[in-house]
Amino acid sequence: MMTEKKTMQIGAQTVPVTYDPQYILMVNNLKKYFPIKGGMMNRVVGQVKAVDGVTFNLKRGTTMGLVGESGCGKTTAGRTILRLNGGKTDGQVLFDGQEIYDLSDKELRTLRTKMQIIFQDPFSSLSPRLPIGEIIGEAVREHNLVSKAEYTDYLDRVMDECGLQPFHKTRYPHEFSGGQRQRICIARALALNPEFVVCDEPVSALDVSIQAQIINLLKNLQEQRQLSYLFISHDLSVVEHISDSVGVMYLGNLVEYGDKKDIFAHPLHPYTKALFSAIPIPDPKARMNRIVLEGSIPSPANPPTGCKFHTRCKYCTKRCKSETPVQKEIEPGHYVVCHNYE
Amino acid sequence: MSELEKNTNAPENQEKEQFSLNDDRRVKTLSPGALVVRRFIRNRVAVTGTIILIAMFLFSFVGGLITPYREDQLFYRTTQQNKQYAAVKENTEFRYVTATKDSFPSVAQAKFVIARKTGKTSFEGKKGTTYTYEEIGEDFCVIYEDGKEDPVAFATYDTVSSVTSDGEVAFDLQCEILQAIAVGEDSFTLDGVEYTVAEDGSIYKGTEEVAYASRFIVQAIMSDVFLTRTFKEELVTSIQDGNMDFVFTDEDGTEASYTVTYDAASKSYAVLQTVETKVFDTYSAPSKEHWLGTDRNGMDMLTRLMYGGRVSLYIGFIVVIIETVLGVILGGLAGYCGGWVDNLIMRIVDVFYCIPSMPLIIILGAAMDAMRIDPQIRMFYLMLILGFLGWPGVARLVRGQILSLREQEFMTAAEATGVRASRRIFRHLIPNVIPQLIVTMTMSLGSTIITEATLSFLGLGVKFPFASWGNIINDVNDTYVLTNFWFIWIPAGICLLATVLAFNLVGDGLRDAFDPKMKR
Repeated sequence: MMTEKKTMQIGAQTVPVTYDPQYILMVNNLKKYFPIKGGMMNRVVGQVKAVDGVTFNLKRGTTMGLVGESGCGKTTAGRTILRLNGGKTDGQVLFDGQEIYDLSDKELRTLRTKMQIIFQDPFSSLSPRLPIGEIIGEAVREHNLVSKAEYTDYLDRVMDECGLQPFHKTRYPHEFSGGQRQRICIARALALNPEFVVCDEPVSALDVSIQAQIINLLKNLQEQRQLSYLFISHDLSVVEHISDSVGVMYLGNLVEYGDKKDIFAHPLHPYTKALFSAIPIPDPKARMNRIVLEGSIPSPANPPTGCKFHTRCKYCTKRCKSETPVQKEIEPGHYVVCHNYE
Repeated sequence: MSELEKNTNAPENQEKEQFSLNDDRRVKTLSPGALVVRRFIRNRVAVTGTIILIAMFLFSFVGGLITPYREDQLFYRTTQQNKQYAAVKENTEFRYVTATKDSFPSVAQAKFVIARKTGKTSFEGKKGTTYTYEEIGEDFCVIYEDGKEDPVAFATYDTVSSVTSDGEVAFDLQCEILQAIAVGEDSFTLDGVEYTVAEDGSIYKGTEEVAYASRFIVQAIMSDVFLTRTFKEELVTSIQDGNMDFVFTDEDGTEASYTVTYDAASKSYAVLQTVETKVFDTYSAPSKEHWLGTDRNGMDMLTRLMYGGRVSLYIGFIVVIIETVLGVILGGLAGYCGGWVDNLIMRIVDVFYCIPSMPLIIILGAAMDAMRIDPQIRMFYLMLILGFLGWPGVARLVRGQILSLREQEFMTAAEATGVRASRRIFRHLIPNVIPQLIVTMTMSLGSTIITEATLSFLGLGVKFPFASWGNIINDVNDTYVLTNFWFIWIPAGICLLATVLAFNLVGDGLRDAFDPKMKR
């Protein structure tokens, strides 16, 4: 799958990758640190390493699930990829071979039609004072994606695809339920006819029956439009359902990354193993073999040295504490960041 | 969600759909503006406020056109005024008339009285001058100086006056007239001219009246008034008859009435003329002409109220517009740009908050008083000052709103869809600030009108001749007016109260109407 992967290092200087057309998105050693201000005169006293070296590639028309516990940097990674968090700290984000952090504001605005985001909270992500038609169609008009004559039809079609009625256009977000709102968010993203959508926990605010509807809607749309998704979630069963490949994040690092089948069948990284052991099995007779992790996730402002997981890892060695592991391809397309697989 | 499921996956159950309460059957969709209007109209209190405001606007702006009076038109009324007109005194002492060339000083006059009382016919004046007198009648003596043939003076009770206002009666003639009266002669001859003395004291030269003699001295109080003979005589007759009211019609036919009062101390009569005078029609009670009476300047109160409303509303609106424009621009900049821009603007706001506005306005008002600034220009300055003092509140509000909205996910969403920054501000940020802005704007309309009224009341705001509700109420600067002339302050007070209240009600109503979370 990734032939040139061996050249990539985590923690070290970013080695530029070359564009491979089969991938719509190539993320190479992406880092995003947030400054901590404090003390006298608002000095920068530290950094939160929210994303500290994330490397993965996303094939066209596929879905990559990004999982991890709360606060591990999934959402920041998703937003940094779309350049919604201001600048990046280090690394590369190649969208269709184009480094998006090199674009001017104007070029970026044009490119935004190709990459979209669906937010976790459908309540705060819709402007309360704009009618739905305006929310969905605003950017369509802004980018002149369709002619004025076709605009209404186009809008109706997009809304129909997302399960919304034409008469919803004049309504306001508060008049909709959570599921409908999430459809509106999806319609807003899809109205621009994107190629790549970051789905930032799109179903975590919804109840299970509606989750299924939204997931199915996303899958249907993917089939119709050949979309590529970066599906951020902490819900492993949802990720298993929708993803083609899966990345596991821990404290800003992508610790394991590979095909869904490989990851779910035989997870390699100790953290992934612990995480996947927590998936409930819908069978009362099945014996759960849970791996319970000790302690809690360390602060991203002051991450442990060496392997960031060593504080909670039962296979921890002396080397883990001092040396930062690099990403290694254990089997084709299955990468892991751990000293135990050398 | 149920109807959505149906819509997406069930074209086959057409029949079921007929009975379903689908959204498209149930709810008529309205445009956002219409929704706001609808929600506003349903708010009874807000509608009441709107009606009051409309009434106030009509009253102030249309009323000013309809009213027949001008803002500063003065009204007069006529009153009966008593004026000191003349004084009448009956002569009970000798008056001395001295010949033109000679002198008869007061020392000699006193000596004459003593000589007469003691029965002497001669007496000594100053510097050894000897006088003799000849008593012609009871109350008329002619006085001679030794060595002079002609009399130097005479003492008399009666006076002789000319019939013309500027005429003078010569000493000789006076002397002859009085002599004739004293001895009871009808006529006499002087310098070959025959004079006749009539019963009533008139002296005719031939048929022409030249002078008259009278015991009463009638003098005008005012120097420009000439009292005619007839007037004097009739007045004297009236007094002698004991009548204290006297009506006189002069040659032009103008009738005037006079009141006579007797002053025992000076033994004289004072004649008061009763005149119709035009005075300012101040504090007149409500009437047909002036529905709310007149103020202390004699101006129509209703008209003043109308023009005052104009001024108050103008000032309110312009001040709020200045405030809002400044506040939105600066607050918006601070909120959206952040960083040092935010810091700078907010420190300016802090400084403005430190300025005690009332003393500042009072000082500026006093300064404008001292500079004698034209009332109209003064009004503009007032608007500017109030506007410049008011914007920090708006700026703070807008900044706070924008700061909180900027971090909202929908702003990120708008950025993610590649919407222009200007559009993001005007379509996503501003509409979310507007409700709060409208509420503060309407509330500050009310409070601005109050401030303006306060200043005008203190005499520092809108100045005469311009009316404002504040300076109308200012007329009530003493308890007498407060207790006796309700129409001076109650209507203006009610206007002020109603307008400010209505602005607040409408502000609240608008806030509710703009809030999409309110029930439809």
